[in-house]
Order: sequence, then C-alpha cells, then structure tokens
Amino acid sequence: MEKIIELKNLTKNFDDQQVLKGINLDIHQNEFLTLLGPSGCGKTTTLRIIAGFEEASSGEVLFDGMDISKIPAYKREINTVFQKYALFPHMNVFDNVAFGLNIKKMDKAVIKTKVERMLAMVGLANYGSKDVTLLSGGQQQRVAIARALVNEPKVLLLDEPLGALDARLRKEMQIELKKIQKEVGITFVFVTHDQEEALSMSDTVVVMNEGTIQQIGTPIDIYNEPENRFVAGFIGESNIIEGVMIKDFLVAFDDFEFVCVDKGFPENEPVDVVIRPEDIDIVQPDKASLKGIVKSVTFKGVHYEIIVTTKYRDYRIDTTDYFAVGLEVGLTFTPEDIHVMWQMGSY
Amino acid sequence: MRKKNSLFSKFYIAICFAFFYLPILVTMVFSFNSSKSLSKFTGFSLRWYKALLENSEIMSAVYVSVTIAILATIASTVLGTMTAIGLSKSRKIIKDMVLSMNDIPILNPDIVTAIGWMLLFSSLGFQKGYMTMLLAHIAFCTPYVITSVYPKVRSLDPNLANAAMDLGATPYQALTKVILPMIRPGIFAGALLAFTMSFDDFVISYFVSGNGVKNISIVVYNMTKRINPTINALSTIVIVVIVVILLLANLLPRLGGGDNKKNNQNMKKLVAGVAVFALVLSLVTCVANKSNNKEARVLRVYNAGEYIDPDLLTEFQDEYNCTVIYETFESNEMMYTKLQAGDAYDILIPSDYMIERLIREDYLQPIDWDRLTNAEGLNPDVMNKEYDPGNVYSVPYFWGNVGILYDTTVVDPADLSEGWNLLMDTKYAGNLYMYDSERDSFMIALKALGYSMNTHDENEIQAAYEWLIQQRDTMKPVYAGDDVIDNMISGNKALAVVYSGDGAYIMSENEDLGFLMPEEGTNLWYDAMVMTRDCENTELAYEFMDFMLRDDVAYRNTQYVGYSSPVVAAYEQAQEEDYEGIEAYVPRVGYEKDEIFRYQDTDIKKLFAELWTKVKAQ
Repeated sequence: MEKIIELKNLTKNFDDQQVLKGINLDIHQNEFLTLLGPSGCGKTTTLRIIAGFEEASSGEVLFDGMDISKIPAYKREINTVFQKYALFPHMNVFDNVAFGLNIKKMDKAVIKTKVERMLAMVGLANYGSKDVTLLSGGQQQRVAIARALVNEPKVLLLDEPLGALDARLRKEMQIELKKIQKEVGITFVFVTHDQEEALSMSDTVVVMNEGTIQQIGTPIDIYNEPENRFVAGFIGESNIIEGVMIKDFLVAFDDFEFVCVDKGFPENEPVDVVIRPEDIDIVQPDKASLKGIVKSVTFKGVHYEIIVTTKYRDYRIDTTDYFAVGLEVGLTFTPEDIHVMWQMGSY
Repeated sequence: MRKKNSLFSKFYIAICFAFFYLPILVTMVFSFNSSKSLSKFTGFSLRWYKALLENSEIMSAVYVSVTIAILATIASTVLGTMTAIGLSKSRKIIKDMVLSMNDIPILNPDIVTAIGWMLLFSSLGFQKGYMTMLLAHIAFCTPYVITSVYPKVRSLDPNLANAAMDLGATPYQALTKVILPMIRPGIFAGALLAFTMSFDDFVISYFVSGNGVKNISIVVYNMTKRINPTINALSTIVIVVIVVILLLANLLPRLGGGDNKKNNQNMKKLVAGVAVFALVLSLVTCVANKSNNKEARVLRVYNAGEYIDPDLLTEFQDEYNCTVIYETFESNEMMYTKLQAGDAYDILIPSDYMIERLIREDYLQPIDWDRLTNAEGLNPDVMNKEYDPGNVYSVPYFWGNVGILYDTTVVDPADLSEGWNLLMDTKYAGNLYMYDSERDSFMIALKALGYSMNTHDENEIQAAYEWLIQQRDTMKPVYAGDDVIDNMISGNKALAVVYSGDGAYIMSENEDLGFLMPEEGTNLWYDAMVMTRDCENTELAYEFMDFMLRDDVAYRNTQYVGYSSPVVAAYEQAQEEDYEGIEAYVPRVGYEKDEIFRYQDTDIKKLFAELWTKVKAQ
C-alpha cells in the first residue's frame, strides 16, 4: 500500500511540557488506523497536527510526499470529525453538511445532490431541514461524518467520535463507521482510548503513551505480542509478572522455570512475562507446580473471572468453569501462552 | 389565603410599575403643557416641541449625542468583540488579568474616570471637543461589550472555528460565517448597552468635552437651573425613539420567522445602513468643524447655565462676523476646576468671591475701560465693590441679593418686621424652604444674630450654627435647590429663601407672593464678565462685553433671565414694563448692613462645611 501521510520525528511542546517526543508513523492509503492510548498520551495532539490545528515544534508532516507543515488547515485535503461533533448550531442539517461545498462556491444543484447522497449514506435522508440541536447524539454523529465526507477528503480524521454515545449505540456506530470506510475507500485516522474499539475496527493500531509510540501493529499482533508491560496492560486484562530469561526458550518466575517460545534475550536478562487470563487453566493442585487459593469469583456472563492468590501474587483467570472460594488449586499454561517482553526502558 | 397573596402580588407589581413609569409619564404629559409650569397642566399645546426645534443649542446637542453614540457603539462593539474572541483563546493568566482589569472601569465611579480623562487630555495637549468625547465614549463603552460578549464566546464549542476551517473556510470566513452568527445575541446586547451608556452619559462627557461641543445630558444639566419644559419635549422624543428601537429589536427576529438567511441579510443591511449614516454624519461634523476653524475670529465664553438669552449670542455672531464657543457651568467651583485643568476660555462670567480668587491667583487680565463705549450706561451702585475695587478686572453682568419670598395670603404682614427671624417663627413651622447652600444659610443665621456674614470669629460662627440647629429642630425646613422655583410658583409653601432674580421670575408667575429684604442686612452679589490671561483675541472680547452692555441687549437679557441688569436704561425699562411692582427685581442699594461675600480661607471654608454637614445630618 502506498503511503499517504508520513510523520517524521514529530515533537510538540506546550509551554515547558513536551507532549510529543519524536513520533514516526506512516499512514497508508485506504487504511483504518487507530491512535490508541490513555488521555494525555499525545494521540489527539498528533491528530490536530495532521489536521493543521496545531503546529509541530519540530519534525515533518508529509502528505503524498509533500511537506504540509506550513499549509493551513483550510487548504489541506483532510477533514475531521470532532469529539463533540462541533456542528454549527445556527444551521440546519443540510446547511451543516453543505458548509464546505458552499465555501468552495460549488454550484447549488451539485451541492444539493452531493449533500442528499451523503445524508442517505449515513442514514439521514429527509433530515435536511431539521435543527441540528434537536437531533440525538447518534444522529449528530452521522451529520458530523457526512459534513466531513461530503468534501471527499483523502483522509478522514476522527477524534474520539464515539466517546459521547451510550454503549449500544457505540457498537452500532463502530460497525457503521467500518462500513462507511469500506464504501468511500479512503484513509481513516481514528483516535480513541478504548482498546476494544481500537481492536475491533482497525487495520493498524498505534499504541501511544506519554508522547511516544509504544507499538504499531495489527490488532492481533498488538493483543498477542505486546511489546512491553504498558501495551500488555493497556490492551486487555493481563497477568504481568517480573521474571528472568534463563536462556532461549526458558524463563523463570515465581520460583519455577517454564518452557516458552521466546528467544533472543541475553542470558539471565530480567524480563516482563505476560499471560492472558483466558490462557491459564485451573487444575487439581497436584497437577501443577504453581499453586494457590481461590480468592474471589465474579460472574461475567460468558465466563467467570477468578482471582487466585499464590505465594507471590494474585493471578487473574477467565474460565467457563466454576471454582469455589477458598479452594486450593493449581495453575497451568502452555509454552505458547507465555509471552516474554523486554522490561520498560531497557531497549 | 391564596387570593390574598395574589392580590398583594398584583398590588406590589402595580406599585413597581408606578415607580418605574410615573416619572416618565409625567414628563411626557407636561411636554404638551401650554404653560411653563411643571406642576399645573394648563392645556394642550405643542409649543415646547416648536421651541425645541428652534433651539439650535439643543438640536446640535441631539446631533452630537446621536452621532457619538452610534460611532462609539460601532467602535466599541468591534473592539470589544475582537477582545472577547481573542481572550477566549488566551492563556488563563492573561485572560484572568484582562477580565479583572476590564471590570475596573465599570466599577470605577464615573467622576473618577472623568477626571482621569480630563487630566490625560490636558496633559497630552489634546484640544477638547468632539474627538476627545468620542474617544472617551469608545473607551468606557468597550468594557460593557466585552462583559456581554465574552460569556457567549466562552460557551461556544472551542472546536467550532476549527471545524469551519477544517471544511475549507479561511479564518475570516470562520469568523463571519460561524463565530459571529453564534455570538450575535451577545454582540447585540453589548451594542445596545454601549449605545445607552454613551447616549445618556453626563459626567464623563462633561469633563472631556470642550470648545462648545455638548451632548444632550450636558445641555439638560445646565438647563436645570431654570426649568424649561423644552427638556420634557426632548425627553419625550428620546423615550419614543427608545421604545421604537426596543420594539424593533424584539419584533424583527420574530417577523423574520424561520427564514434565517433572509433575516441575516436584513440584519446586515440594517447594520451597514446605520454605520454609513453615522459615518456621513460624523464626516459632516468634521467638515463643519473645519469650516468653523477657518474663521479667525473665535470667542470662547464660559457662563453659568441658563444665564443668557441665546438669541443674543446668534445676533452677536452675525453682527461681528465671528464664532462664539459658548459653554456653561453649574457652579463657580466647577468652573474653577475646569480652569485649573487647563481649559482655555476668553471670557468668564463668575460671581464676586470667585472673581476675587481669580484675581489673587492671576487668572485674569485688566480691563481697558476706554474700549467699552457703552460703559457709561452702567449703574454706579454696582461698581467699585470690595471684590474688585475700581473694577480693574470685571465688568458687571447681573446683580442682586437674597431675600425671603412669602405668600401674602398666608403670612401676616405684621410678622415681616421679624426679618430673618421670620424663618424661626413657629407659626410657619414646616411651611418653608431654606436654600441648600452652606454659605447662604450661614449668611442668614449670622445676619439674624447681627454679625457680619464674612466673620472669622469662631464664637459667632458657633452661635450661627446653633441658630441653624434650632431652626432645623423647631421649623422643620426643607433644604431645597432650584426646585424652589417651581414649587413657589405653585404656592406649595409659605416662605422660601431665594435669590432676587429667581424671586422676580417666580413673582411674575405667581401674583400672591411678596419679597422681603430683611432689615438685618443680606447678601448683595454681583456676577461680572472677566477676561482671562489666555484671551488672545482681546478685540473680540471687548466687542462682546460692549455688546452685552448695549441698552437694548441688556434689556432683552434681563427680560429673559430675570436678574437685575447693571445697565441703568435696561434696569429701568424692565422695572416699568416686565417687573412692575415686583420688589425682588429691585435690589436694595446703599444699605450699610448689606454685604458682599468675600473670598474665604480654606480653614473657615472647612469649618462652615463641617458645621453645615452636621445641620443637615438629622
């Protein structure tokens, strides 16, 4: 795939605080890319620099290979869907969507066709004369998307667009957004702090923290092969354990040595070990080296979330089997379930 | 219980409305009165509207008020809106600082702001007039616009401007197509506020204006000395205009209905129209001012309010081919303040004690009496007084004394021999007006006790103070100002302390009154024309003074103002024709117990002021 946007060593300082510490990122054509991270990680700032609302303190933004750092927002072929939509309350739905086309002084009849087609696409046909302030959150969201897409941008930026919606509507909109992206076939850059949203919609997920990129990858890579403790903790619930890499394919933690599939670490290197809760099996105590006592059981619908207290720590296990509190149990996992990572800051 | 409550609340609302609207109603009703009275409606007439249209001073003041208000509104609305939008994007410290600084001019008493402006303009050497007034108005209106626009801006989604630019709008388009339409209610409210603040401002305008540029408030304020129903006509017109504007403001958006675009365009046309109108008007002003300035002969006269027949000014200008910049003050002290602030005038018309002070402080230049051809018509009785022995600096303008105006139908003639102590006669308790002025009140008390009114003896002053306290407690007098004039014309009380000229005017309107000049002596006063050191065109100044001394001019002036003329021929003609049988027009001369106020030292002045405050503090 061809690159459409390249961020090169982007930094941004607000007063004396550095919020972006050297971002390097390629965004490809037709890609659904998500910037994921906790609030304050710099994801929104990165988006605003791409949109042109902020200027980077240093570094380059390339669009189709051209540096656009000095080009103002209104001349970029990029449109944005804002966090709280930022619809124009003094205009009706039609005028909101037509705003960009009106600015370009397009022919009225053309505008009418384009706007109506776009409104139909987002499921708001016949809503043109409605007052935007009287629409529901989901409808406003659709207007905001239509208003951006009608300008036929090459890239659509979405700044936590689903944050204000309730859980069900959110799911619905996730599917819808993905559908729209396929339909219009352009690049979406999506910002969110919701890992589930990121994993379910994206082609590429970029995990950010404290102004740096932690990991770039497909949702599956990010989930299964987190680069470090932060990514592992942020993407889904995890058991993260400090251990030592004895040698290739052998890691030690909690007084025992375990066979694993990881290699390439120096011998006796301190590492972080991740084991996903759904990868741990609860067995009879005599069938496992790692033992503990069930501390709590919480019913989660599809599965139980069980906390088992061992000598050094609590393990979280997701399982469909029930175990009573106070029961002594053993914990097992296969070598494939163990994921060894470099400790933070050591690479 | 419920019923009672709602009755009470209706009553309460009725009272509130009465308080709000009765004064306005009274003003409007009396603007159609056929006589000069402000308390008796004698019949319907439009004479005051006619007088208003013919009064060039008022008409030019209306013009100044309206153009200044429109221009100040436009400028302050633009400035204030820009500031508010800018502030919303500023850092918190700057925002907080600017907003608190913005509150200071709003909270600051007008008089402080006004004096600040006056001193600033004086120290910068600005010529006071239209431009200074406009600048000051823009300055004091802007904070109000900021306060009403800023909350609107702050309530906007901060991403709105970004959203517009994201969709291809330039920053200017984002401002005009998105931001401004959304904060329009705030801008509109701010503009209305600015317009009203500017339109009815008096204090600041008074201090920053000069060279004869006056707005309505200044003219009206100086007119209050002798209440003139033209003010009512003017007020009525202003009220009607305001009501129409408010109605339009409320109805226009509704009439526009849902059609936002059309509405928008109408609004734009309206704003543009008003702006063009104001610009044209102000251009005309500038051109007019320029052409005025071309005339070399300009005379700056500073006189008390309502103290000249305005037609005489017009005649003088025509006859001598010159321009008179005529300004008025409300008290001698106010005039002195303006002089101190460096305002330049050619001719002043202050009172005796102030002339004495101006001579001492070297503000005046001596008069060359040979250049006043009409000087021989002056009454020798008014010449060569203590305030300016030999009339080296002053040419008498009007003179008079202070006496007691009494209702002949109520006051027993035998009681008149009591002199000033008539004011202490409990028969008339609660039935008299004193003059709300410390110097005049102490004059009465000192004279009643047989002392000199210019005494420095603290025991005598103490005795006078006790006399006033006793009078206050036993007689319950009303300490009144110029409202005495109208009240006595209506015969509201039996006794009133008045200046002779006011007395003459009141008596000409109410036949039942008499004027008593007490035997213990009274205050004889003289107002005179003096020429300042700054006066450059002395030739024109002499021509003006000489003009005022001409028999026919002096007669018409005394006829109009009501005070006694120092010009013998005019004085006699007025006695025979206009003020026949009115004692108050003929001040007592050569009576040894009568005195003239002398310049007071600060110590004595302070003592008087302190004691007078105590008298009035009940």
